[in-house]
Amino acid sequence: MLARLATQRLLEIRQAFRQIPQTSRSLSTALNYHLDSPDNNPDLPWEFTDANKAKVKEIISHYPSNYKQSAVIPLLDLAQQQHGGWLPVSAMNAVAKVIEVAPIRVYEVATFYSMFNRSKVGKYHLLVCGTTPCMIRGSREIEDALLKHLGVKRNEVTKDGMFSVGEMECMGCCVNAPMITVADYSNGSEGYTYNYYEDATPERVVEIVELLRRGEKPPRGTQNPKRINCGPEGGNTTLFGEPKAPPCRDLDAC
Amino acid sequence: MASVLKGALKSIRERGLGNFLRELREEGYLSCLADGNLLQTKIHNIGATLVGVDKFGNKYYEKLGETQYGRHRWVEYALKDRYNASQVPAEWHGWLHFITDHTGDELLMLKPKRYGVEHKENLSGEGDEYIYHSKGHSLNPGQRDWTRYRAWEPTKP
Amino acid sequence: MGLGLLASRALRSSRIFTSPVSRNAIVRTIVSTPELQNPEASAAAQSPPEDLPIRTPVAGARVEFTNPDDAIEVFVDGYPVKIPKGMTVLQACELAGVDIPRFCYHSRLSIAGNCRMCLVEVEKSPKPVASCAMPALPGMKIKTDTPIAKKAREGVMEFLLMNHPLDCPICDQGGECDLQDQSMAFGSDRGRFTEMKRSVVDKNLGPLVKTVMTRCIQCTRCVRFATEVAGVQDLGMLGRGSGEEIGTYVEKLMTSELSGNVIDICPVGALTSKPFAFKARNWELKGTESIDVTDAVGSNIRIDSRGPEVMRILPRLNEDINEEWISDKTRFFYDGLKRQRLNDPMIRGADGRFKAVSWRDALAVVAEVIHQVKPEEIVGVAGQLSDAESMMALKDFLNKMGSNNIWCEGNGMHPNADLRSGYLLNNGISGLEKADVFLLVGTQPRVEAAMVNARIRKTVRETHAKVGYIGPPTDFNYDYQHLGTGPQTLTEIAEGRHPFYSALSNAKNPVIIVGAGIFERNDKDAIFSVVETIAKKGNIIRPDWNGLNVLLLNAAQAASLDLGLVPESEHSIESAKFVYLMGADDVSLEKVPSDAFVVYQGHHGDQSVYRANVILPAAAFTEKEGTYVNAEGCAQQTLPAVPTVGDARDDWKIIRALSEVAGVRLPYDTLGAIRNRIRTVAPNLLHMDERQPATFSALLKPESGNKTSSTPFGTAVENFYMTNSITRASKIMAQCTAMLLKK
Repeated sequence: MLARLATQRLLEIRQAFRQIPQTSRSLSTALNYHLDSPDNNPDLPWEFTDANKAKVKEIISHYPSNYKQSAVIPLLDLAQQQHGGWLPVSAMNAVAKVIEVAPIRVYEVATFYSMFNRSKVGKYHLLVCGTTPCMIRGSREIEDALLKHLGVKRNEVTKDGMFSVGEMECMGCCVNAPMITVADYSNGSEGYTYNYYEDATPERVVEIVELLRRGEKPPRGTQNPKRINCGPEGGNTTLFGEPKAPPCRDLDAC
Repeated sequence: MASVLKGALKSIRERGLGNFLRELREEGYLSCLADGNLLQTKIHNIGATLVGVDKFGNKYYEKLGETQYGRHRWVEYALKDRYNASQVPAEWHGWLHFITDHTGDELLMLKPKRYGVEHKENLSGEGDEYIYHSKGHSLNPGQRDWTRYRAWEPTKP
Repeated sequence: MGLGLLASRALRSSRIFTSPVSRNAIVRTIVSTPELQNPEASAAAQSPPEDLPIRTPVAGARVEFTNPDDAIEVFVDGYPVKIPKGMTVLQACELAGVDIPRFCYHSRLSIAGNCRMCLVEVEKSPKPVASCAMPALPGMKIKTDTPIAKKAREGVMEFLLMNHPLDCPICDQGGECDLQDQSMAFGSDRGRFTEMKRSVVDKNLGPLVKTVMTRCIQCTRCVRFATEVAGVQDLGMLGRGSGEEIGTYVEKLMTSELSGNVIDICPVGALTSKPFAFKARNWELKGTESIDVTDAVGSNIRIDSRGPEVMRILPRLNEDINEEWISDKTRFFYDGLKRQRLNDPMIRGADGRFKAVSWRDALAVVAEVIHQVKPEEIVGVAGQLSDAESMMALKDFLNKMGSNNIWCEGNGMHPNADLRSGYLLNNGISGLEKADVFLLVGTQPRVEAAMVNARIRKTVRETHAKVGYIGPPTDFNYDYQHLGTGPQTLTEIAEGRHPFYSALSNAKNPVIIVGAGIFERNDKDAIFSVVETIAKKGNIIRPDWNGLNVLLLNAAQAASLDLGLVPESEHSIESAKFVYLMGADDVSLEKVPSDAFVVYQGHHGDQSVYRANVILPAAAFTEKEGTYVNAEGCAQQTLPAVPTVGDARDDWKIIRALSEVAGVRLPYDTLGAIRNRIRTVAPNLLHMDERQPATFSALLKPESGNKTSSTPFGTAVENFYMTNSITRASKIMAQCTAMLLKK
């Protein structure tokens, strides 16, 4: 009895040790500190493209001139789209310069949000929802299928630089769980798309990956042909006619 | 008591009187006569289960039932002449002091081999050579040249 | 039982207790009693019980009512306390004598409210409130020792300890750790956390601050300190949730002259002193309250010593001088006190080598030589670390020998010792906070006087005061305008041609700070008269405001000028035959004739000692009692923390003994007697810890007709970390110089 307990605990501990490199930062794609590498160091020049400079101006114009720093998140997003889906240190420095704050204030924001990737991702960054409804409906199988098909680990880029798989928390599609998101960075910030593929199955996500690899655009939304958006399978079961206004409120008045 | 005698006779028959006597000496039965603690431990050992033996040879016994609860685990030290509690290694300490029910052998299996040093017994009171004297202490032989400040040396021109 | 349930239960009972209407109402409804709608009325109705003991505010917390109408009354544990509007609940509790546990709250930093340790119960609030971030409202009933507050603290403490390593026995903060103390006072005796603890990679913040980031509880005090006080935006809070950590993201050293203070404000052992690491436990140390002499600010410090060794230096609270910060130089130069020490009297023999001799022989040689030279060939120079008593003794001794050529290094050859306002920071260091425009003339306060710079930065941050700077390009940690590099700019401002002139003359409380580096210039008087012209035109010197300040460089400067250590003739050192250097290492000895006899009296074998003929070992400031006057004219004294080294003696005792050997016995045998002598010369030196402002302003001075030269202002302090003989001997300061100074 004791021995069994002990071996079980031993296995748990081993598991914990083995998993640390992969899962401890599973929320984000990188560590919370920066390590210089040839393609990511503060000495590399980085600038917004001319087209994006106009966008930067437009974004900053949304905020009061003495609160430029409020634009940090949209600007980081723009920089990420421009740089193929991830933010090198020099891009964050460029954003800091635009909004006139110390670089560390931008790093703080970029490390906080897991949507900002601080290490390289593929041209198509596949995000598997891992929150409870999706998990119950089989998101782990979907992730396994993707990882097996692409031959990578989580947050790792395929050799051709096309794909990477990450995990994301709830993206609000629980009604069509499980789902994956494809962030398409292959066309820069102009052709950037961020599409949901819902009601996914392990077979279907592999098909989607292959379609993307061929450059096609698989239809976004639910992948279940029997459903229309988030409607029930096989057509409506209710709400057949024009919905009536709630009896308690006079809608015309408002 | 009878079973003890029977066991003793059996081992004499199997291994010869000389071997039996040597074992008796090694097991410390001879010093039982001078050392009441050891004698009591030996008497306790009768009918108890040997739970484990650590790497120093200390034997850990447990006897549930007749013994008073809280005194049902004990150790028989490997050294019969000079023994103290610091000879119990860390992995057995918890079992012996009822902190855990995992025995030392189980805990050794669990221990991640990343840090930790070999257990050393505490030799305080066993002679001056084992006592740590801080630097500057007159009994610290190695560091007598320690000074609290370094004087200016008028060597440079 | 959940907290919410507990809270509602307590609330229900208290409501029944306080409101007479709902006492018999079984169903809880919204009660509309006038007492509850008007909290003040209900507070007045419920007079505090008579048997409440009088409470003393925590840590001398004081309250100032700028506007008496803004006073509101709150009740802390039933005890009424009057506070101004806008104070937080925590401050109100402090005034009422209740110490609220806290980690992230620091009175000199902005409020973060993220540690949640300061939760208290407030009546009619459904949840416990974070008192540090909650403004006190009129009639608020704060309860700090109810079961809810206790349970809240215990829960917060359990969460904080969840990921905190249990390495107190090997932690340098152990014994003075807020987390340790508060978990003893408010924490539970066990935790329920069985998972693996989090671990965080340590950061490299430079040679002064050691990081053990696993111990961090994310209070963000260091981040706020670096951003708000030190003015280096390097530290930040990275990541989120349990992965949150303090760091710089990119590898970066903390290049601030105040970085050591994060060690003090860190409530746990995450940021500790690197030089002090594993050297001593804090309960072994003896604290001696002393002052710092490495610059002219005279920061108040506590010297922690163990036996004969200085182990570390910590700041002491002094609102007027250093608040509760000290500069890195002050904090970390102490290892210089253990190196390069002079411990025996030495005489240079005929072969040019030093030989250790007895005091009797050394003094006899000096006394013999001093009688062989003419009185006007005797020169005495006091060093920048000299205390007032020894300077007085030196001056008296040389005067008795017939010479009046004695000065203190750094003061130049024409010091203005007549008007105290001509060499003091007339506004006082804390007075700088009232200023709205600064004009810095030839001074880089960041390296010359880091604590004064911290005040200016505080002012600039709070009131957006304008700063104009004339001098060579340098680093500032606040916004400034670089107006020019030389005296021409000053003349332009004086003539009203410069755009900064309008800012200066329109300001309510303008401040001009002139650097003491100018004392060494030949056109010093001319520059001062230009500055005085600006002061006159800009209405800077008024009866209620004397905004013309001089920022001194060295600890001994102000006292030496108070005592009148002024050289009689400018070229005395070139014709000197006998030079008495009392710790003077920064004086230029090239002009001293080669046949001159040089006596060096000091504690470190630094620079001048190589030219000396006789070395007399003296005590450093940690080993003697001495009076120093800081830049704002406040006399303070050092106290001996450790015994002197070897055969060294106090400076004034050496001179007193020498005078006897030389046959001109000085009439004092004790420190008290020498202070009596000082009373006749400069009585202000005896008013300890009290700022003695200058009585007459610089406007009394006649204008000098000299012309300013066009040479730009120089930098007075090249290397912040090495300015005197002790800091030059320090290994830590050498490391800082190598790693932190941008070259």
